[in-house]
Amino acid sequence: MRTYLVLIAAATLAAGCAKEVTSYGDARGIETVSNQFGSTDLQMIAEAMARSMQQSPAIVSGNLPIVTVQEVKNKTSEYIDTRAITDSIRSELQKGGKVRFAVDEVAMGQQVGEIKRQQSEYYARENAVEKGQMVGAQYRMEGNITSIVKQVRDTKDVYYKFNLQLWNIRNGLLEWSDEKEIRKTTTKG
Amino acid sequence: MKTTLTLAALASMALAAGCATKKGFEQPGFAFGCPIGDTKVSSMDDLVKAKTAMEGKRTTIQATEMRCTKAGDLMKIDANLNNDSSTVKRIAYKFRWIDREGMRAWEEETWKPLMLYNNSNLMINGVAPTPKAVDFRLILMSQE
Repeated sequence: MRTYLVLIAAATLAAGCAKEVTSYGDARGIETVSNQFGSTDLQMIAEAMARSMQQSPAIVSGNLPIVTVQEVKNKTSEYIDTRAITDSIRSELQKGGKVRFAVDEVAMGQQVGEIKRQQSEYYARENAVEKGQMVGAQYRMEGNITSIVKQVRDTKDVYYKFNLQLWNIRNGLLEWSDEKEIRKTTTKG
Repeated sequence: MKTTLTLAALASMALAAGCATKKGFEQPGFAFGCPIGDTKVSSMDDLVKAKTAMEGKRTTIQATEMRCTKAGDLMKIDANLNNDSSTVKRIAYKFRWIDREGMRAWEEETWKPLMLYNNSNLMINGVAPTPKAVDFRLILMSQE
C-alpha cells in the first residue's frame, strides 16, 4: 500500500514537472496535425485561385477591373472560415496590382456608416465625402467549398474541392472559373 | 559538274550546321524560355541545375525538364518531376520569385505537398504573382 502511494506521489510530481515548450514555426510550412481543413489548405487554395484568376482574359484585358467579393459557401461538414479564404485571395490579387476591389456586402454597413458620420455636423463640409461617389464593381467573385469524407476502421480520407467563379455583373456571363482539389488521408497505427 | 555538286553539298552542310547551332528563336539570356542571365546553360540538365534548389530534408525526386513562357506579362513555368524509385514519394515544393535586382519579388510562397507514384513523372506549374518577377528558383523538400 505504502509503495503504491509513493509511486502515485512520484508520478504526480513528474507530471507536474513536465515542461511545456513553446516555439515559433513556419507559418507557410506544411501543417499535418489533423486531416481537418488547415492553414496549408487555406494558403494553397488562395495562392492557386489568385494566380489562376490573374491570367483570366477578363483580368488581363481589363483596365484594372473592379471586383466585389461575395460569399464562398461552405458545403462541407466541418466549420471553415470561408471569409479567411476570400480575404487571402483578395490580398494576393490586390498585391498583384491587376484588380481593384469595391466594397462588398459585408463591409457595406461600415462604409455607409463612415459616409454618414462624415456628413454629420462634426466634420468640415469641404473635406467630407459626398454621397453617391462610390464605384460599383464590374465583376463579382463567388464560390463554394465541398468535401467528401470517408472513414473505414483506422483510415480517414478527406477530399476537398474549392470552386471559385468570376461573374460579369452587367451581362451575367461567367468570365472565369477554377477549382482546387485537395486529398488528405490519415491512418492510425 | 563534279566541283559544282561538291560545292553545293558543302554549302548545304554549312547551312544545316549553322541552323543546328542556333537555339531556335531563343533570346540571349534565356534557355528553354527561362531566364538564365550570365549563367552558362548548354543543356536541359544545366538549366534544371541552375533553377532547382533543395531545402530541409533532401529528396531523391529530381526535376528533369523545365520550360518557361509568358502568360500575359507573368512568367509561367512548367517543370517535370521524376520519381525513379520503386516507392511512392512525398515531397513539398514552392517557387521563389526574384526581381530584376536579384531581390525577392514576392513573399515566400506556401509549401505545396505533392505525392509522386513510384516510377512516375509529374508536371507541376507555377505562375509568377507579379510582372516584377523575372527569375525564379524551384525549391524541393522531402516530406518523409
